[in-house]
Amino acid sequence: MIVRARNGLVCLLVGATLGLLGSIGGAGAVDLRFGIDNPDLGKLDPHATVVSGDRYIIQSVFNGLVRFKPGSGDVRQIEPDLAERWESSADGKQWTFHLRPGVKWHHGYGEVTAEDVVFSLQRAANKDTSSFASDYSEFDKVEAIDPLTVRITLKEVVPSLLGLVVNSLGGNIVSKKAVQALGPNYAQKPIGTGPFMFQEYKPQHSVTLVANPEYFRGKPQIDRVIFRYIQSQGSRDLALQSGELDITGGALGQDWIERTRKMPGIKVETPGLPEIWWLFLDQTTKPLDDLRVRQAVAHAVNRAALIAFRGEASHRAARSVIPASHAGFTADVPLLGHDIAKAKALLTAAGYPNGVTLKVINTNRPSLREVIEVLQSQLRQAGITLDIELVDHATYHARIRKNQSQAVLYGANRFPVADSTLTQFFHSRSIPGTPTAVTNFGHCKVADTEIDAARVATDPKRQDDLWKVAQQKVVADVCAVPLMEVLYTWARREKVDYGYEFKDTPSGGPLITEATRIAP
Amino acid sequence: MSAIPLHRRARRRRIVLGRALAATRQAFLGNKTALLGLVLTLAIVMAAIGAPWLSWIDPIDQDIMSRLKPPSAAHLLGTDQFGRDIFARLLHGARITLLIALSANLIAMAIGSLIGLIAGYYGGRLDIVLMQFMDALLALPSLILGLLLVAVLGPNAANISAAIALTLVPAYARVARTPTIAIKEREFVASGRALGYSDLRLMFRHILPNIVPEILVVASLWMASAVRVEASLAFIGLGVRPPAATWGGMIRDGFENILDGPYLVIFPGFAILVLVLALNLLGDGLRDAIDPRLREER
Repeated sequence: MIVRARNGLVCLLVGATLGLLGSIGGAGAVDLRFGIDNPDLGKLDPHATVVSGDRYIIQSVFNGLVRFKPGSGDVRQIEPDLAERWESSADGKQWTFHLRPGVKWHHGYGEVTAEDVVFSLQRAANKDTSSFASDYSEFDKVEAIDPLTVRITLKEVVPSLLGLVVNSLGGNIVSKKAVQALGPNYAQKPIGTGPFMFQEYKPQHSVTLVANPEYFRGKPQIDRVIFRYIQSQGSRDLALQSGELDITGGALGQDWIERTRKMPGIKVETPGLPEIWWLFLDQTTKPLDDLRVRQAVAHAVNRAALIAFRGEASHRAARSVIPASHAGFTADVPLLGHDIAKAKALLTAAGYPNGVTLKVINTNRPSLREVIEVLQSQLRQAGITLDIELVDHATYHARIRKNQSQAVLYGANRFPVADSTLTQFFHSRSIPGTPTAVTNFGHCKVADTEIDAARVATDPKRQDDLWKVAQQKVVADVCAVPLMEVLYTWARREKVDYGYEFKDTPSGGPLITEATRIAP
Repeated sequence: MSAIPLHRRARRRRIVLGRALAATRQAFLGNKTALLGLVLTLAIVMAAIGAPWLSWIDPIDQDIMSRLKPPSAAHLLGTDQFGRDIFARLLHGARITLLIALSANLIAMAIGSLIGLIAGYYGGRLDIVLMQFMDALLALPSLILGLLLVAVLGPNAANISAAIALTLVPAYARVARTPTIAIKEREFVASGRALGYSDLRLMFRHILPNIVPEILVVASLWMASAVRVEASLAFIGLGVRPPAATWGGMIRDGFENILDGPYLVIFPGFAILVLVLALNLLGDGLRDAIDPRLREER
């Protein structure tokens, strides 16, 4: 009797608890926990941030006029996003986009109109509000023809125009009303149209997104996505193993891949579209203003050893200053090989028989930190000392953009066409400190003519030739020493289903879409 | 006042001091844990000084082909993620760790003792102002204060030493002040004052030598806390610049690869543990030996 009464009480308590849980989280709320290797959020303003950790979040919050097919970075597979369809004029200088009707902004900011798109693209092209302004230098005007039609007029034909209105970097469409209402707070309270809406940011801890029930492709299957900031790879691995995380970025090395593959219930993926890593050499500073010193640095770098260090499973030697996967790539460039004797001879010829010292500011993020330390050791053999100051990741990004680092180790993954990487990293318009500054840390200016001409070349053969000459010139001038191509590594619990095949990733990380789900 | 001339009184004081020192030495040598502390500390110091001879491997030489290797004959304590020899890095790391701890303590001792001496000697409003300032500094946890300073000044050995020194200054000031207050009332100070000695001469020739033993005792204890703070700063990324090794930095680096080789963290962690323990045992032993009351209790 007593036993039965106690059972009844237990049942009642369990029932009450379940009921309570149900009312809090909605019946069986599904959370997806995503580990990010940054110490903290940068900015959730898609036009401003250059940090990949921010981009993983942004891609679930915003849409472009068009988008990469989820799981793909293939330019030929670009599909409609906020625009249902588009057409271009016969001369290729006018592009008209027809918007999908009835798409709603998050948190009650109304419907998406052509006005928003005009505002957004102008904002992306404005150097004061955008890190990618130089990408839009060929935009003449953007106008709203009617509430659902936008027309872009170009100064010159841009063959990869869709790459500028795709759901990546400057192509993300922001809400005019929200940007104006929130002002600088917008960077931490993004209003987009994507499958997930911003809910909460806890400094140095997490960003939480909730499902957007009105998403135009349908209500997401996951209720919340929690992006957790855990910088240490070891801690993220342990969190994945213990079930605290569902998805996490991996270390870029082979050791990590092999070890993580052995974890039960965990799947490791290395999507295509690698980053390329360079060591930029600022040719406006002494002693790097002497080409022979830059050549000495290039000769001192041992790519094969770097690849051996990181492992062939996710790394390969760079063969030019852009990734081999980009349209317009050529391996026909005068890349300097590993030769310590030659490096020393060049330094002596340049008047530095006792070697040189280069000031380097580097992030303390393990992946980049390890590589700069390997480079430090390699260059030391040729008498080149890297005086490395380690700073946190945000400070590193800020200070290298103030020309405070003579040699800059940088890795990036841009729109997979030669123009985007060549313009942002090797065109004189992109030199930090100039009004259109982006990421030309080497202060390179030898290939401006070819890069500009190739961007608007309509004949594909001529365009390829121009890109080839540009790469040859940049390599010959040693604006940067191309190091290696790095495939991103990701681990997820097997029960996480992205809803697409994770082959490529324009942002570097997996996209959480309305179709992403967690198997029970 | 006694009729003994001043010079004879000084000789008698030296004799008394000599007897006290002998008693202290005896008490210290009779204390086994203190001796252990002394031996361990000396061993670590000798290892740090003799690092280049004890390990012929260059601590910053990378050997990528033999990275993350467990302890073996070629690499006594294994290698780290760059294939650098951990034994060599531990030995050379000890140099930087000890150098930072020692210089931080010397700086703090000089500044802190001076402040304590002045505050204790003059008393009054000056004492209140100085000591309240010191108390305010003391209220901040040393790691937070160190972190703040190193973050602002930039991480290098000199700045880290300065930051740790600042966290120790108030502690030294307190230790110097209390005995100063007691000693300045003693008869030999009063007679010096009657003879017209200057304040400076009284403070530095007559009071300071009497408080030095107490300061030295706490110095050995605070060496240990300086080692800890340095290791903590290095662990959170505010250590000396690469490729130099410090023990805290080695733990931090090892932590990234802990799943490949737990020894990466265990060896430097153990080294810190031993050094901190040794310094504490030494300091405790010295304190017990110098304090006559504790000596009698033994």
